[in-house]
Amino acid sequence: MSWSRTWQVLRKDLRLGPRSPLVLWALVLPVLLTLVVRGVFGGLFASEPRLGIVDLGSSELVAQARALEGIEVTVLDAADRLRAQVEAGDLDAGLVLPPGFDAAVRAGEQPELGLFVGGESLASDRILLGVTALDLVRGLEDDRAPVGVEVVLLGEAGVPFDLRMLPLIVMMSVAIAGGMIPAAGLVEEKEKGTLQAVLVTPATMSEFLLAKGALGWLLAVAAGVMTLAINGVLATAPTVTLLGVVLGAAMMAQIGLVAGAWAPDTNTLFAAWKLGGMLLVFPVIFFVWPDLPAWIARLGPTFYFLRPVYAAAVEGATVGDVWLDLTIAAVLCVLLVPLTALAGRRLELRIGAGRATTSAAGQV
Amino acid sequence: MDAAVVAEDLAYAYGELVAVDGVSFAVAPGEVFGVLGPNGAGKSTTIKLLTGQLTPAAGRVAVLGLDGVADRAAIQARIGVCFEEKNVYPNLSARENLRFFGRLFGIRELDVDALLARVGLSERGGDRVSGYSKGMRQRLMVARALVNAPDVLFLDEPTDGLDPVSARTIRRLIRDEAARGAAVLLTTHDMYEADELADRVAFIDTGRILAMDAPEELKLRHGTRSVRVRLRGAGGIEEQVISLDGDGDTDLLADLVGRPEVLTIHTEEATLEDVFVAFAGRGLT
Repeated sequence: MSWSRTWQVLRKDLRLGPRSPLVLWALVLPVLLTLVVRGVFGGLFASEPRLGIVDLGSSELVAQARALEGIEVTVLDAADRLRAQVEAGDLDAGLVLPPGFDAAVRAGEQPELGLFVGGESLASDRILLGVTALDLVRGLEDDRAPVGVEVVLLGEAGVPFDLRMLPLIVMMSVAIAGGMIPAAGLVEEKEKGTLQAVLVTPATMSEFLLAKGALGWLLAVAAGVMTLAINGVLATAPTVTLLGVVLGAAMMAQIGLVAGAWAPDTNTLFAAWKLGGMLLVFPVIFFVWPDLPAWIARLGPTFYFLRPVYAAAVEGATVGDVWLDLTIAAVLCVLLVPLTALAGRRLELRIGAGRATTSAAGQV
Repeated sequence: MDAAVVAEDLAYAYGELVAVDGVSFAVAPGEVFGVLGPNGAGKSTTIKLLTGQLTPAAGRVAVLGLDGVADRAAIQARIGVCFEEKNVYPNLSARENLRFFGRLFGIRELDVDALLARVGLSERGGDRVSGYSKGMRQRLMVARALVNAPDVLFLDEPTDGLDPVSARTIRRLIRDEAARGAAVLLTTHDMYEADELADRVAFIDTGRILAMDAPEELKLRHGTRSVRVRLRGAGGIEEQVISLDGDGDTDLLADLVGRPEVLTIHTEEATLEDVFVAFAGRGLT
């Protein structure tokens, strides 16, 4: 095994990458899928209401506001800067807390509280920020609300639908980049006969497959990380998320190599990929509809890298929480190594015998 | 001098189809050895066995003194192979193709320009191969087979279907490589090419070698020698074919040469195809 020759094959494929529609598609797909899913199921253009605060004293309100979920709080040092940012639309609303504000409220003096509201802010954000400001002041005064509010949750409690679609987007990204690119690349080299030309040089089938797999793995990791980043879930638990993507990319790259070694031509590969793809993708159904029996999802190998990615992104799971799934994913990757090597050996024999592709004439 | 390529009793079958059956020959350094035969005769399989693409079912291969099976990697580092199929990377330029294959041989500083000049592709070396004609691709493939300055060159139908200019370029390269000391093994079903290039040829059919020798020897030994004489007779132009192999015919020829009626005299030499037909009972196509 020569790392130098492996690198030369990989470098050639990286050079050809930008000229390949499939590689470009693999990198564009995560963005498109995210836009479609979040556009359809919400969350695409929604951002948290942005509240600016200028604290001229040392009010407790600042800390309380910062502790609130669902509101983005920015503290500024001057009222005119606050006003300028609200006018520019950089903030939805702004509060100016005068010196001694907390003491005045507690003394029942009803001090003035200036609230700037951006003219272009959403009505829902204005209402939310206005009510929140009043609630914070009331809390400062230890005043109880004049009515009791009973909160009734309508619809299912749980993870938002667009987040439940995350495993599907990750799966598609990793499968196309990690699986399809090595598979299609391998079949193309068989069909064009370039693989045969490479194999009469000192380069070996193992080096060739390793390079093809590495390309798929690199692209799948890139596509997976990009998917998680644009969905805003990468930072939640980055170690687990990255581990899941790395293992998923390795798994798909090897599956792609086996498929590419087996398929005699591009048409057969794509037909088989559609059928086999269903077997790989089906675990995502159980993330979208979590009430379905989860044990069925565990029959699919891809579950074991999707589950850690999902758990990390949604629940902030640690390695300790998902170690079993990660271990199974790693074991599956290791088990695929001899299978890939066997597929490569068989391919080498078929190339020699002129039976690697449907177009090979079987020259004697 | 030790042979550069040795094939001993090689045999290979694709399932029930016997492709190579007891093939033996040796090729010396600097020699051009042609393997002639019709499609399906076993020429490509023989090359695959010699280049390590297939493992012989029986027999032995030795290239440059190395065992064809055990030392496959070492052999492949010192040989160049040109396939019948135009298998170059179409989305890379000729330069990129040559550099890539050079690096697979561990050659970092390949003189790509010199190689391109040898095959007449200097001006188009930066263009993507997808825009090349069949002849240009074939010339590139020959250049690719030379990136490692091989000690043995295997060429599978190197001029098949090419325009005369491309074919001439490739034939000149073959002669140059042999003059450099490389052993050249080429398969072809073009008898004129084999006659022009090869120091020795082997006729192969149904996986077996039918005859093997220098083209001239084969033609002399297995062809018929004759002279065609055209002369003006009473009833117009007459033609006589005089065999040089039979008794008394030479006297007839000598008698004719001095006569004023003789218009033309042509020697009639057997072609390699005639010899092949004599052995195989069928033509090369």
